[in-house]
Amino acid sequence: MFIVRGALLARVRSRVNAVRQLYRQSLDLVRSAKERRGLQLMQEWLSPAQRRQFETFGYFDVVGCTSGRLYRIYHTPMPPNVYEISRVGRRKHAVCFAPVGPLVKGDVMLAQKIALETDEQGALSVANVIPGPSQI
Amino acid sequence: MAMQIVMDQTGDTRHSFNPEDAQELAKAERRFNELTGVGFTAAVRTASGEVNKIRSFDPTAEETLFFPRLVGG
Repeated sequence: MFIVRGALLARVRSRVNAVRQLYRQSLDLVRSAKERRGLQLMQEWLSPAQRRQFETFGYFDVVGCTSGRLYRIYHTPMPPNVYEISRVGRRKHAVCFAPVGPLVKGDVMLAQKIALETDEQGALSVANVIPGPSQI
Repeated sequence: MAMQIVMDQTGDTRHSFNPEDAQELAKAERRFNELTGVGFTAAVRTASGEVNKIRSFDPTAEETLFFPRLVGG
């Protein structure tokens, strides 16, 4: 009786695991499709120079519309991903802001670019600035 | 056809419309006003690739992009 029960439980467990794995795989597929779409949209809206820079280095530079300061937007899994860049090309400080809501990375980067290029003061007014260089 | 692209949790949602059709144009303008009314920023690209923020509906824009309001991270 215990042997039969044990075998039955093992079979149920194995099926549950298989369903779990399938669910995870389908979630990953959906997630990666969304991420790809976001990155594609972002690249369509980058200037040719920004696109080349992103394809080569995984980041692109943006010039603030008011101050003329240089910002670098990185493609990183975790924030912060926007840094003000010094004249000698070093990260001065992180500028942390993003559009509200669960957006994919490409969308977030594109919104950050547009905000800095068209309404730098508006972006900086909501941003948290983390002084000093930080490592990515 | 013109296009309104709204960033959302699916990546983006695209609404195409014929700017020659008065009804479709009115619907697109309503969508513009609704989105900007709840805090979305609207942007368009010029022919040279420059991006501009717009505050009122541009019926001549081929592509208008909307992203949600910004918050500090």
